[in-house]
Amino acid sequence: MTLLQALFMGLLQGATELFPVSSLGHAVLLPSLLHWSFKQSDSSFLPFLVLLHIGTAIALLILYRAQWVSIIRGFFTAAVRGSITSDSERLAMLLMTGTLPAAVLGVFLESRIKALFASPYAAAAFLIVNGGVMLAAELLRRRAERRASLDGRPREQQEERFTDAAHISFTAAAIVGACQALAFIPGISRSGVTIAGGLVGGLRHTEAARFSFLLATPTILGAGLLEVPLLFARGVPLAEYVLAAVLSGVAAYGSARFLLRYFRSGRLDPYGWYCIGAGLIALALLTFNL
Amino acid sequence: MPLAALFVVLAIVFVVVGVLYAFGVLQIAVSDPGSPHHYTHAILFAVLAVASLIAANFTRPKTV
Repeated sequence: MTLLQALFMGLLQGATELFPVSSLGHAVLLPSLLHWSFKQSDSSFLPFLVLLHIGTAIALLILYRAQWVSIIRGFFTAAVRGSITSDSERLAMLLMTGTLPAAVLGVFLESRIKALFASPYAAAAFLIVNGGVMLAAELLRRRAERRASLDGRPREQQEERFTDAAHISFTAAAIVGACQALAFIPGISRSGVTIAGGLVGGLRHTEAARFSFLLATPTILGAGLLEVPLLFARGVPLAEYVLAAVLSGVAAYGSARFLLRYFRSGRLDPYGWYCIGAGLIALALLTFNL
Repeated sequence: MPLAALFVVLAIVFVVVGVLYAFGVLQIAVSDPGSPHHYTHAILFAVLAVASLIAANFTRPKTV
C-alpha cells in the first residue's frame, strides 16, 4: 500500500465509520473498483485497520469528553450503590447493556462473519440491504409521527415528541447494541443499524445518533486495543499508518459534528437511498468488470 | 433462590470459564484452535463476570 493509498483509506474509514453508509463495505468495495493492487488479506492490513479504528475512537472520545467523564463517574457510582439516581448513571448502564451483546457476538462471531462475506459482491449486496434497513426505520418513524398527529408540523416539533438517549428502555439498548454485530458484515453500517434501532426505540434523531456514537466508542476502542500487539509485528510501516489514523480521526470528528447538526432536522432517507444507489452501481461495475 | 444470588453464581461461572480460556483448556469457538492462550475470550468473560456482579448488586434486597 502506498502512502497516498493509506491516507485515502484513512480518510475514507474516518468519514464512513460514523456516516450510516458502512465503512467496511466501502473499504472492501473501493479498492476493488479502483483496481488497487494491495490485498486486504495481507498480514499488514489488519494492523492498519486497527490503527484507523483507534483513531476514530479517540476522535469520539474527544468529541464527547465531558459526557464520558460523567458517564464513567455515573457508572462506578451506580455500580457500587446498586441503584440509578441520575440520567448520567442511567446512560452509563444503558451503554454497558448495549455494549455487552456486541462484545460477546464480536469475540465469538466476528472473524467467521467477515470471512464468510469478505467479497466485493457481498459488500455491494449488503449495502443495498443497509439502505433498506434505514428506509424501513424512517417509515416506522413516520408512522409513529402520524399516530401522534404530528403530520405537517415543523421537524423540530415532531422531534420534541420523542425521547433522549438516557430514557431508552434497557431492552431496546440491548437490542440496539446487539445490532452492532451486524456491522461485521461488509456493507452493513454500525451507525446505520444503531441509529435505525434507536429511532425504532423512540429516540429523537440527534439522540439516536448520540447514542450510536457513544455506543460505538467502547466497542471500536476495545476491539482496536485488543489487536494492538499486531502493530509491533515485523514489516508494519507504523509511521505511515499512524498518519493515516490521525487523518481518520480528523475525518471522524468532522463527520460526527456534521451528523449531529444534520439530524436536528434531517432524516436517514438520503443515506438509505445513497446505499441502495451505491450498492447497485457497485454490483453493475463488478459484474461488467468496468 | 433470589435473583442476586443467581447473578453471583453466574459471575463465578464466568470467572472459571475465563480462566479456562486464558490457559487454553477451553478451545470452543476460537479463531485459532490449538493456541495455548485465548486472552480475548478471557477478557470477555472477566467483563461478563463484573457485569454479573453489578447486576447482583442492583437486584439484591436493599435496606431503606
